[in-house]
Amino acid sequence: MHRKLMKMAICFSLLLFPLLAVKTVDAGSSDTIKEYEPNCTYEEYEKIYLDFYGNSTNEMAEEGNPADLMVDDGKDLYNTVEGTKGKSCASCHGKDGEKLVGVATKYPKYDPAIKGINTIALQINRCREKQMGAKPLKYESYDQLALELYVKSLSNGMPINVSIDGPARKFYEKGKKFYYTRMGQWNFSCALCHVKYACKRVRTNLMSPNRHHADHWPSYRLKWAKAGSIQRRFRGCMKNMRAKPLPYQSEEYRNLELFLTYQSNGLPIQVPGMRM
Amino acid sequence: MKEGNAISRRKFMIMTGLACAAVVSSSSIGSLLKPAVAEGAKKPEKENINDVLKKFFGDRKIEMSHVKLKTPIIAENGAVVPVTIISDLPMEKDNYVKKIYIFVDENYHPFTASAELSPANGKAALALRIKMRKTSNVRAILETNTGKLYGAQKAVKVTIGGCGG
Amino acid sequence: MPKGIGKIKIRVPRKIKKGDVIPVKALITHPMETGFRKDKKTKKRIPAYYINDVNVYYGDELISRMEWTIAVSANPFMTFYLKADKAAPLKIVWKDIKGGKYEKTIQINPQ
Repeated sequence: MHRKLMKMAICFSLLLFPLLAVKTVDAGSSDTIKEYEPNCTYEEYEKIYLDFYGNSTNEMAEEGNPADLMVDDGKDLYNTVEGTKGKSCASCHGKDGEKLVGVATKYPKYDPAIKGINTIALQINRCREKQMGAKPLKYESYDQLALELYVKSLSNGMPINVSIDGPARKFYEKGKKFYYTRMGQWNFSCALCHVKYACKRVRTNLMSPNRHHADHWPSYRLKWAKAGSIQRRFRGCMKNMRAKPLPYQSEEYRNLELFLTYQSNGLPIQVPGMRM
Repeated sequence: MKEGNAISRRKFMIMTGLACAAVVSSSSIGSLLKPAVAEGAKKPEKENINDVLKKFFGDRKIEMSHVKLKTPIIAENGAVVPVTIISDLPMEKDNYVKKIYIFVDENYHPFTASAELSPANGKAALALRIKMRKTSNVRAILETNTGKLYGAQKAVKVTIGGCGG
Repeated sequence: MPKGIGKIKIRVPRKIKKGDVIPVKALITHPMETGFRKDKKTKKRIPAYYINDVNVYYGDELISRMEWTIAVSANPFMTFYLKADKAAPLKIVWKDIKGGKYEKTIQINPQ
């Protein structure tokens, strides 16, 4: 009688198991990644995109991007004295950000002090805590984004030039591995949609190849009705993939940001972006 | 089938079925199965575009000329659809367009925005970014100071995205 | 009031000749909440909060007045036209349903 109940219980739980499955990120077993062939070039993608949607979003971006107003707020924050040491960003980095011109083209980059990849958002908080004695700004808060926008805007038009040499290499490879890792309920990976099946559709959304993915962040997104960082987009993408999103400035996201930004090397920084 | 303490197969299936239903309806798994409609505000009654136009303009004739309406054919995101209205109608002291109306047929409340103009504007034109609930006609109606009505309409597709939207 | 509401940018052509009919492009940041959205965390309805009234003054004259509904996009951007026949300030005033009032003035200087 007990054996029969046991069998029933096992069958029962096996039936329910898929519903209760925890969505974890599987790091994969092999260390070498078999990279996909990109399904299309960026030019091909752009042609299909413009044929289908027309140029409305770009025109709106040129005419008036609400995130432009955040850049001005970022500049004000940059000049504001905050913290116990009586400094503002300008105290060290110069009036009107003159010493920061060009700096954003090198980020994300390896920083021996954290033995990992440093991003601008992370560095803003490290500067605030260490150099200014000020409280770190919550990631994705208005002020954090405004400052990141301002710092990046100082390098607008300049070509992205991140390095994956030396100690950065290891983290770049980790980022690439994450990009190719299958995850979530549907077993998707970033590379699947943005390399192997680039230019194909998910419902009506056209999957873009990743050449320009990193060059316009922080960006205004119509869907968010506000500006957000690239890592917010990572979290959104992972939620769309039915995978559990990771925290802001987690190691995986910083490595991923390095990997993606390297794909945009040579392209000019253009912030804030405006996307759907 | 053993008698005594054994549960009959039929009873077991019924019990399992009821247990599953209870789990599904009470847990978050159940919410995945419910239609994704935002609770909270009750969905408003959708106004019919013809009733709305009648409310605004009665039985007055709207001439479909003199108005150019520019919209995207497919809106990438229905929350932000750029709409441009331009008319060649004069904007002179005694002969000018005094009001521009925008309607979106399939919105719950089709009346979207209006702009009162005067000869000081120099041109009967307006551009605005509007929200569209779904694929719909967008209508622009212009009223002159003498009460004449001119209009234009365009169909705009609003797509459902898979990953971006 | 949460940050980032009521920031304004107004653009007109750089060179204006007297009598030109010029486009005026104006952007204001505002959530334009419809009142139908639900907060994902609290599950409570986010109340309606939107700009419903826009007034445009050229000099002392009210030249244009708009009525907006919840169906105007968040962070509204508009273009209207102005006959630049005099050197005068152009003032735009936006009002929302909570009594918020936002305005900006730029000088029109036709050559």
